[in-house]
Amino acid sequence: MSLAFMNSASGRRWRVMTSNSHAKGFRKSGKDSFMLDVSANEREVLINLSGQIIEILAERVDAATTDPLAEMIGITGHDSPPDDEVLMRLLPNAYADPVDASEFRRYTESDLRGKKRAHAMLMRSQLMELEDDKLLIDSRDAFAWLGAINDIRLALGVRLEVDQNSHEKLELLSPDDPMHAVFAVYSWLGWLQESLVLALMEDLEGLEP
Amino acid sequence: MAQVEGEVEELTNPLFFVDRPWVTVVWDDPVNLMSYVTYVFMSLFNYSKERATELMLLVHNEGRAVVSSGRREEMERDVARLHEFGLWATLARDDQ
Repeated sequence: MSLAFMNSASGRRWRVMTSNSHAKGFRKSGKDSFMLDVSANEREVLINLSGQIIEILAERVDAATTDPLAEMIGITGHDSPPDDEVLMRLLPNAYADPVDASEFRRYTESDLRGKKRAHAMLMRSQLMELEDDKLLIDSRDAFAWLGAINDIRLALGVRLEVDQNSHEKLELLSPDDPMHAVFAVYSWLGWLQESLVLALMEDLEGLEP
Repeated sequence: MAQVEGEVEELTNPLFFVDRPWVTVVWDDPVNLMSYVTYVFMSLFNYSKERATELMLLVHNEGRAVVSSGRREEMERDVARLHEFGLWATLARDDQ
């Protein structure tokens, strides 16, 4: 797992990169209410990346539902693991045993795709409807946001080949390297996600007697 | 989810009468944030912050941890929920 990002070099790097010195992320704003302070640039990045996640997760569902016979007998999914590395991380095997894994996948993969797409769609539509730089969401929406941000981080993590020891290497990427910007966005998303987690925890703790 | 097959298997398996024979295992991965994993455990399993933190640290330090146990169908549901939120989870028969 990865350590906290708040006030880390990664958060600072994003702020420098975007010349956005006011980056605030999420904060608790009353009971069961969370406010995101989002710049036009950040909003654009989130809309773009959530659109890509929605697209990636759609492919196999569409291909599978073109078979009317399979649809009729209630099998809408695939049973083989995805061959794309990003999809494999987003839709992992549930069993170590390959036979059990494909059986489970056959009946659950399209549902999982649908849920993940719904998270990304909620985040995307809320950002697209936004008229200024402040968005208010409740904890139900917040959980979808966490899932959506996490899926984007997982996808970027695969592309960046993030492993337990790669952080130092990624920190040292040359600004000319295309992965430098990808890593900056990946780090910023971690920081943004953590700001929402901390706000949600603060809200939960406030409910305890 | 192979429900009929699962039931037949359980009925014919000597472990059928053993309480809670299946477990959900969460595996460490380098992307998910420690705070996020803790929050997912709190939300999905209703664990206290202390219990959720303890499990998160177990995953982080040992590479894996059992986060729930119960009937196979229940564990399949837990794994599906964990996958929905991007955690790397599998289920298996508890051999211990």
